[in-house]
Amino acid sequence: MSLADIFDKYPDRRYIMYGGKGGLGKTTFSAATAYYLAKKGKKVLVFSVDPQASLSDIFERDIFGKGNIEIMPNLFACEVDADRRVQDYQEEIRRKIIDMYGMKKIPEEIESYIKASSAEPAMEESAIFDAVVDIVVKSDFDYYIYDLVPLGHALYYLSMASIYDAWLDKITGLREQMREYDQAIATMQREEQTSEDQIYNELVYIKERIGQSSKIMTDTKKTAFFFVLTPEEMTIVDTEKAAGLFAKYNVPLAGYLVNRVISRDLLNENIPEYLRNRIQMQAGALEMIDQKFGSTVHARVPEFDSEIKGLDTIKKLAEVMFEEKLS
Amino acid sequence: MMEEKKVKKKKGSFIGFIKDFTYGMATHGMARHALKTRSSMEHLFILITMGDMLGIPILPPYYSLRLLPHVVPQITTWKRRMLREKDFVDSMY
Repeated sequence: MSLADIFDKYPDRRYIMYGGKGGLGKTTFSAATAYYLAKKGKKVLVFSVDPQASLSDIFERDIFGKGNIEIMPNLFACEVDADRRVQDYQEEIRRKIIDMYGMKKIPEEIESYIKASSAEPAMEESAIFDAVVDIVVKSDFDYYIYDLVPLGHALYYLSMASIYDAWLDKITGLREQMREYDQAIATMQREEQTSEDQIYNELVYIKERIGQSSKIMTDTKKTAFFFVLTPEEMTIVDTEKAAGLFAKYNVPLAGYLVNRVISRDLLNENIPEYLRNRIQMQAGALEMIDQKFGSTVHARVPEFDSEIKGLDTIKKLAEVMFEEKLS
Repeated sequence: MMEEKKVKKKKGSFIGFIKDFTYGMATHGMARHALKTRSSMEHLFILITMGDMLGIPILPPYYSLRLLPHVVPQITTWKRRMLREKDFVDSMY
């Protein structure tokens, strides 16, 4: 089935993700898909949370940390500045403490705890996925194309989300028990009802957020996750492994796209040995891809003679990917 | 009129006295115990969510930070309690 058919057949799949090893063309495919859908009259947001994001490069505009920027009609792009998000979040916590207790300054030990938290590696992942929830929850767009950071990140987050979930259930339970004690004490001391437990409310909110963020990646109705690979044995093996891991976390795999295929027609021409060898190597790898992934391969995209950059080349790529002439 | 009010007040304070008396006799101990348990739970909760303040590794702090403002007043007593040295001499006095 072609990629265009897939998009036609499953109009509910509004969260599109391309995953794969670094440098295989996730960002270019994200941009081309966004371009195609925008040309079809859909309102599309393509966004990235990678600190070394390349959407700015591919669209040739500096959009880092600037919110949703309109690239062309219907096509918006956004690069989340994760670092700044963490900083803003910490600042929000500080402000809250100051407001709640009328403090002039955050106590030393609290301040150092807040500062230390940003050194935690998971802090950034959580901030990133929280940002994604913010983006997606607004639901301003028909399609969200998520230019995913290299696979490890996503897997790490998904596994973290399930552990976090269990942990939250436990502490929410503890909190409920505490609430019962509060009520019993109030009755014994013949007091009015106790005030609402703010921490309990926060816990419920946190649980909801984590649920939402992992749902974005695991919603079988709304999410389509495509793997990008190139015809090289090592990439194929790695992709297969990653696909297995993703399946374990219930990420709905929508199929595979092969990038950088060198045209076989070149073999009939007078080409250097180097290129001939490469084409032969690719032929073997492509066979392997067919065996392993078969009908779930939705596109074979040729190696382009120039870098994909700017709307003109993005258009060319989109036309090849979706096998359709675009206006 | 005046007298009636007085009587009422007296009656009210008498019932109040009985109430306070029974509370003191029966419930006060229970309430105290419940309060103590409640505060232990509070400290346990902070330990689970902010344990890394004492060097006990816990889960990623992104969301724990959201809880931080609510436990600020208890942090000092919590730390004191958690880090208090305990040895057998304690139980002798």
